[in-house]
Amino acid sequence: MIAYLLNLATLATVFGILAASLNLLIGYAGIFSMAHAVFFGLGAYAGAQIAMLLVPDVLLACLAAAAVAGLLSLCLALPALRVRGEYFVVASLGLQMVAITVFSEAHAVTGGHGGLVGIPPATLFGLNIGDPGAFLLVCLAVLALVLLGIRVLMRGSFGRSLMAIRDSESAAKAFGKDVPRIKTLAVGLGCALAGVAGALFAFYMAFVNVESFTLEQSVLVMAMVIIGGTATLAGPLIGVLLLLLLPAGLSFLTFIPPTEIGAVQQFIYGLAMTLLMIFRPAGIAGLSTGRR
Amino acid sequence: MLILQLLVSGIQTGAIYALTAAGFALIFGATRIFHVAHGATFALAGYAFVGLVNGGFGWPLACLGALVLAVAFGLAMDRFVYRPIQRHEGSFFTVFVAAFGVTIMVQSLIEIGFGRSFAAVSTPLTRAHQLLPGLYVAEVFWVAVAAALVLFAAVTLFLERTRLGIGLRALSENPELLRAYGLSARRLSMIAFGLGSALAVPGAVLTAITTGLQPSISAQVMLVSLAASVVGGIGSLRGAALAGLLLGVVENLVVSVLDTQWSSAAGFVVLFAFILFRPSGLFGRAVAR
Repeated sequence: MIAYLLNLATLATVFGILAASLNLLIGYAGIFSMAHAVFFGLGAYAGAQIAMLLVPDVLLACLAAAAVAGLLSLCLALPALRVRGEYFVVASLGLQMVAITVFSEAHAVTGGHGGLVGIPPATLFGLNIGDPGAFLLVCLAVLALVLLGIRVLMRGSFGRSLMAIRDSESAAKAFGKDVPRIKTLAVGLGCALAGVAGALFAFYMAFVNVESFTLEQSVLVMAMVIIGGTATLAGPLIGVLLLLLLPAGLSFLTFIPPTEIGAVQQFIYGLAMTLLMIFRPAGIAGLSTGRR
Repeated sequence: MLILQLLVSGIQTGAIYALTAAGFALIFGATRIFHVAHGATFALAGYAFVGLVNGGFGWPLACLGALVLAVAFGLAMDRFVYRPIQRHEGSFFTVFVAAFGVTIMVQSLIEIGFGRSFAAVSTPLTRAHQLLPGLYVAEVFWVAVAAALVLFAAVTLFLERTRLGIGLRALSENPELLRAYGLSARRLSMIAFGLGSALAVPGAVLTAITTGLQPSISAQVMLVSLAASVVGGIGSLRGAALAGLLLGVVENLVVSVLDTQWSSAAGFVVLFAFILFRPSGLFGRAVAR
């Protein structure tokens, strides 16, 4: 039972980092990326390769993951600078689909559909933190750092410029904000943090394959952010807890046949997304009147 | 001959894409609603057809059932999802997420009802005949091409020549003025949803009798419709249809150079290139960023 709870808590923490990083894009920057699982995946592969080829140091793996995801976030920043709204959503969907094919075909780096197996237990400065409890503590510390970082950034000049661009790009430009630079930075930061979450995920699972980085995962993370409430610090975390506890709770309902639980879960995600958008578009933690 | 064979199957896929994308473009052009659940319409129509045929009904009745379900679903989306959202906020992303939620719901319902495996109806129409040495064409190819041409011509005529069609085009330009002329914007948007959803039916039936359906087809069709309408120029019916055809052909032709796994990715690379270098699409007007 303790092991089960630890497992749930660690997963929730990793997804908390992921959702917080997506919230940076969706909530604060107004960039509706449907390709967040791609950067989660890039981080996971980068972290796993570092651990398997060099040393299984969490810090090093996280830095490498952030660097890889941050650099490749240019694939997302480029369309984000060119187009808005519908066009960007479609572009990010396209990126997601192409990336999935690359992930499953680039056997040398990603192991293809078989994935990367045998990622060694994590260490930190030579200390072994492979034990579930210790690893949870590390993840929680990273989550706290990420949340603190986002809070400080969003209260500062960078965050205010970013939100100004979200609300009116032309007005922000008129006030002399360097729109392309701020947007590119925001995308890079959000994706780099997703990479960090990916590296932690890889260590925790000790195995990564393409199944964890599909469009469904992107949608799940998006649902977490939106159901919880965009542009709030607590919103994504509430969303993560709800959407991770839901599957755990459903498995206690004995009248649903076990083979159908996946479908029932999906149905409830969908229903929650639709109903919230109709009745409470700002999410659970958002202001009840909506942002506008 | 391989290229020609791939071209034939590309045109067949493209005809299905073109019709579905045209339905999406019709809805978006008239109502400015990004109807992401169009893929769900497609899946519902396809599975209704399969269910009815397997249930012992004849083909005409099964097609009719698929049509009724598709139109009803389109109208219900307009009435119960999009209209309430537009009443209070109407931001693009709110609509998008709500429609995406519905797509997920439909997909999971289909999974519960029909299982995750392929569902298909077999027919002699798909038996291939040798047309030229080494070139095999099934009758369903001609059906798909004919259906696409006839329906596309009919919809174009409707939009250009009838009062209702002109009203639909006016709706996208200036809803206020429309009201001044005594036309009801609500009724017109219902017509757009009904007609656009109906356009997904032939593609769904053709897919059911050729490659077969999967619960995840709604996401796939949604992506293709979105991609085609962006490549064609958002809201342009002609552009969406042409782009749908183009995507189908590219997906199939790419197989001659790369492995089949890359075929759908190739379509999205085309999409990505368009968004970066020509965001207004083939026939689109310049858009604000």
